Order: sequence, then structure tokens, then C-alpha cells
Amino acid sequence: MSPVLTPFPLLQRIKFRDAGTLLGLLLIGGVFAVLSPTFLTAPNLLNVLQQSSINACIALGMTLVIISGGIDLSVGPVAALTAVLGASMMVAGVPFGLAVAGALCIGMLCGFINGALIAWGGLQPFIVTLGGLSLYRALALIFTGGQPIFGLPDGFRALTNGTLAGVPNPVVIVAVLAICAWVILNKTPLGEYFMAVGGNPEAARIAGVPVTLTKLAAYMISGLMAAVAAMILIGRLGAAEPTMGTLWELDAIAASAIGGASLMGGRGSIIGTLIGCVILGTLRNGLTLLNVQAFYQLLATGIIIIVAMLIDKATSGK
Amino acid sequence: MQHYLKGAFALAAIALTVGLANAQDLAPLNSDSEPDRMDWSELDAKFGALPAPAAGTKVAGVSKTLTNEYWRSLGDGYKNVADKLGVGFVYQAAANEGDQIGQLSIAEDLINQGFNAMLLSPQTDANLVPAVEKAKAAGIAVLNVNDAVIPSATNYVGNVQKDNGVRVAQWFIDNKADGGQVAVIEGQPGVYAAGQRTAGFTETINANGKFSVVASVPANWSREEAFNAASTILQQYPDLIGFYANNDGMALGVVEAVKAAGRADKVAVFGTDGVSDAYAAIRAGDLTGTVDSFPVLTGEIAMEVALRLAAGQKLPRVVATPQALITKDNVETYATTDMAALRATLTAK
Repeated sequence: MSPVLTPFPLLQRIKFRDAGTLLGLLLIGGVFAVLSPTFLTAPNLLNVLQQSSINACIALGMTLVIISGGIDLSVGPVAALTAVLGASMMVAGVPFGLAVAGALCIGMLCGFINGALIAWGGLQPFIVTLGGLSLYRALALIFTGGQPIFGLPDGFRALTNGTLAGVPNPVVIVAVLAICAWVILNKTPLGEYFMAVGGNPEAARIAGVPVTLTKLAAYMISGLMAAVAAMILIGRLGAAEPTMGTLWELDAIAASAIGGASLMGGRGSIIGTLIGCVILGTLRNGLTLLNVQAFYQLLATGIIIIVAMLIDKATSGK
Repeated sequence: MQHYLKGAFALAAIALTVGLANAQDLAPLNSDSEPDRMDWSELDAKFGALPAPAAGTKVAGVSKTLTNEYWRSLGDGYKNVADKLGVGFVYQAAANEGDQIGQLSIAEDLINQGFNAMLLSPQTDANLVPAVEKAKAAGIAVLNVNDAVIPSATNYVGNVQKDNGVRVAQWFIDNKADGGQVAVIEGQPGVYAAGQRTAGFTETINANGKFSVVASVPANWSREEAFNAASTILQQYPDLIGFYANNDGMALGVVEAVKAAGRADKVAVFGTDGVSDAYAAIRAGDLTGTVDSFPVLTGEIAMEVALRLAAGQKLPRVVATPQALITKDNVETYATTDMAALRATLTAK
């Protein structure tokens, strides 16, 4: 793999890649717009964004982890654990602002544990987070005895069910988080560290990059984003279930990959990931509007991921 | 990272002022014990024949997943009635039984398309709540159909889950006069139907006094997990006389375990749902019995109830659908695909 410590050629390549992802989205959207009169209406498009927002939230954190050369398979169960703990705090009468802050801290703590085992313990990210996948799910199930937690305060639910200038709040929250993630990745030293550690950890270490802290930061952000996604979802559902978040990790990885992230590390794009999420959301929405069975929706998702990878390979010349 | 939090909270504060609060006056639904209920067979007598649906009426069905025969059969029932009356109908389901957000997205996508009624079979008690609120706000009649129960649902069609377990327990009491050890293979923990079926069986059989439930373990609706759990239980309890599984898939897994242990003549196995594999296994003498909740007929009843609601009729909150214990003795009576004949058989009792 070529060294990627010089940001400029990389930046240009990613922008080119983002344009390709966007073109893909426009193509898919164009097809649905022709086939379904409902598709191109404002309520439906907002629907797509709202439905994509939870996956986007997870995928933002996942993208940073993937860029730093890792993977986080534990996001779904981390979301479930933070959801049930946050919800039980609210039901027990803790003011919801505090309960949300507590839940976000728990998400970061889970990420810290993953990151510590990987960065300090020297264990493989895939295996550590695979363990986390079972571990955090088990904690959520044990804590609740398998039962959903109902009765979240209306004030909290209003946050996630409300709109800001007609845009659903989850979309607004994720948009703000995406801007933060973009700034971190493209305008701060931490972003360069992610790229460097993922591209060539040995070279990064020699160049003086704090590799351990960089990895820790990536997993903690991923845990935090899982917790934010959990808060959005329980606000919308009005209940927290220990079984929620099944297969979220795969949707997030798919969105990152469609958006141009390389599972080898060192490459990825926030904008690309967001478009990737909207592509997945649009597919599901459009195929539902056309009354296509769920089995074919899976088929379409699989084809899109593979086509995106093939285009990637063809255009990158590697 | 502080930026994230500050940003999120600032937005949250703004949103709070704009936010909507949907007050719910209805008590949370418990479909088995809700007092405002009626039996499906009384619909015509109490509310008259099904009114002819207005021209252009459209109904959408959203169920758990089409990988389970139960939900495909339910959809066939919906379609029978829709086709007969010329009602527009679409039927959608998530890709698998764990895809809660996927199912919610499907339901939300359908709301904008001008349906008069929606038949929802949610994956969990909570995952379709936003869609229900949105549909109600859009003036769409929403009907919760078997088996997860949306607490805020105004109308529910489905069978009495507890009664499934009660019927199997009653078979043991009637046919195994000496009593003995029995085991339960449960569905997914926390799912309403699984809990009620298990409770119905356990309470009824314990009340008899001669039986003891030696094991009650979840196998998450999975045939494979049920096979493994049953193998362990069979090893542990050499005198076991029977299993009750919360669905047929798991019961068929148990059947394989019982056969592998060479105890098919001593251990009775019961399932729930009445899928075609279960019928075949009952005919072959592998499965002792199942509690059929007649998914096709349930689908027909649910569609009729939805059309009644769309026509403005005020029905009780719960409409209970039929079920019956199927064993080798009566399997041919109930194996009919002629729904009119099945209705006649069920109402004749």
C-alpha cells in the first residue's frame, strides 16, 4: 500500500469518488421518480432522510474506525445497551437531559473498552468487537430480562419526533454530527492521524503519530455515535428494547463501503458515507413504493454494494 | 467531541419547543385480557353483513417476514377477501424477523400512498409505534393483527395467545392420566405471544397437580436452537413424557431430537401455528399435535374487520380469531383449503 501521509492527492481522489457516489444516488432516484409518482414528493423524501438517519449516525462513527484501519462490529448491541440503560434512567425519574448524557457516556465507555483491548491489548479489531457484539447484547438482555422498557417521558420523545423548519429532528441532529465528523476528519490533526494510522501504522508511529490514542478515539467516537442513534430510535419508538440494533453493523459497513471507505484502512469519506446511507434508504423506500418484496430489496442492496466496489477498483487503477 | 454534544443539545432544546406531543388516552392494550372484545363468529350477527367497500378503497398489509409460512398464509387470507371485493391491496414484509427498523420504514413509506386501512403485524411491541401514530394522524384505519401487541393500538385482531398453551396442557391432562414430567420450548424472551403461550400451558398443567414442568427454555423461534435444547433436556430427564413448543418450527426441531434419542414412542410433542410442515408431521405420526390458529382464515377476518373500520363501523377493540388443537384424529377435518367449509366447522362447535 502506498504511503498516504500527504493529504492533497488523497483529497482530490476522494472528491472524485464522492461525485461518483452522488451520481449513483441520482441514477437510482431518477429511476424511482419515473416509476412511482409518490417518490419525488417532499413528505416521501423527508421520510427517506429520516429513515436513513439512524444508519447514517452509526455509519459516521464506523467510517472513522474503518479509516483508522479497524472495524466495529459491536455498534448494534452498544446501541441496545445504551438504549435500555438510558430509558431505565428516564423511567426512574432522572431528568432526560441527564439520562441522555449518561447514555452517551456509556456508549463512549463501551467504545473505550473496545479501543483499549485493541490499542493496548494488541488484539485484532474484528475479534474484539465480535466479542463485544455478544457481550453488550448479553448485558442489555440480562439488565432487562428481555422485556422492553416502555413509558419514556413525552418531553424526550418530542425531541426526536419534532421538526425544525419542516425537517425531522433526527435528520437535523445527524446533519450536525456529520459536519462535526467532516471537520474532525478533514480539518484537524486527529483526522490526519486516522488516515495515517489506517494507511500505514508503522510509518505513522515513526512519524510521531500517537497511534494508541488515535485508535482509542476512533472506537470511542463509534460508541458515542451508537449511543446517539439509540437515543434517536428510542425517542421515536417510545420504548427501548434489548433486541434492537440487530445487523446495524452490516448496514453501516455497507454505507461506508458504498461511500468509498476501504476496509484496508487509510481511505474513506464522510460525504460518501452519508450518500451511501441515503442510497440504501432510497432503495428500500423506492422498492417498497413499487411494492417489491423484501427479498428483492436485499438482492438490490447486494448488487449495489458489489457494483460500487467494482467501479472503485476500475477508477482507482489499483 | 464537545461540539457534538453542545450541538445536539442546542438542537434538542429548539426542537422541544416545536415538538409534537401525541396524547394517548387509551389504556395500553393487552389483547388476551382486554374487556372490550368479541369473537369473530359474532361479527355478522352484531354488525350486519360486510358493507360493500367504497370504490377505490385500498388496504396495505405489513407483516413480520415472508420467510415464515404463517405470515405468507395470513397474506393469502388478506388477498382472498381483497380480490373478492375488488379492493386494492399491497402486502409487504421485512427481510427477516429481526429487522425492526426495516419494517418501520416499510410501514412509513406506505402511509403517504393514500391507503384507507393498514393491517400491521409488528416484529416487537414497540417498533411500529411511530407508524401507527402517523397513520392515525393521516386518518388511516389501523389494525394490529397477531401477535406482537402495539400498546396504543385502537383495534386488534388475533387469537387468544394464552389459550394455545391451555389447549395443549388440557390434552396432557386428558390423555396422560398418570401425569409426569413435561418441558416447554419457549419463543423469544420478552415477546408477548411466547410469554402468554408458556404461561397458559404452565399454569393449566401445574393446577392439575400430577405434572411437573421440569424445564422451560427459550429457543428464539429457531428450529436448530430447539433441537439443541430438546437434546439436552432429553438427556437430563429420562422419564420426560412431553414437550410443548411455542411454535411449529421449534416443535419440528424437538421432533428430530426426540427421534434421535430413540424416544418417539414415549415423548409427545406439540407445537403452535398449524403450518403445513406440522400437518405433514402429524399425519406421519412424528408430531403429536399443534394448535392451529388458521392464518388464512385469520387474514380473511382481519381484512373484513379493516373494511368494516374503513366503512366507519365502531367495533370492539379486540376481535378474537379461532384456533383448535389438531391431532392425528382430526387432522383431515381441519386440513381443508376451503375457508367457507372451515368457517362452518369452527362455528358448528
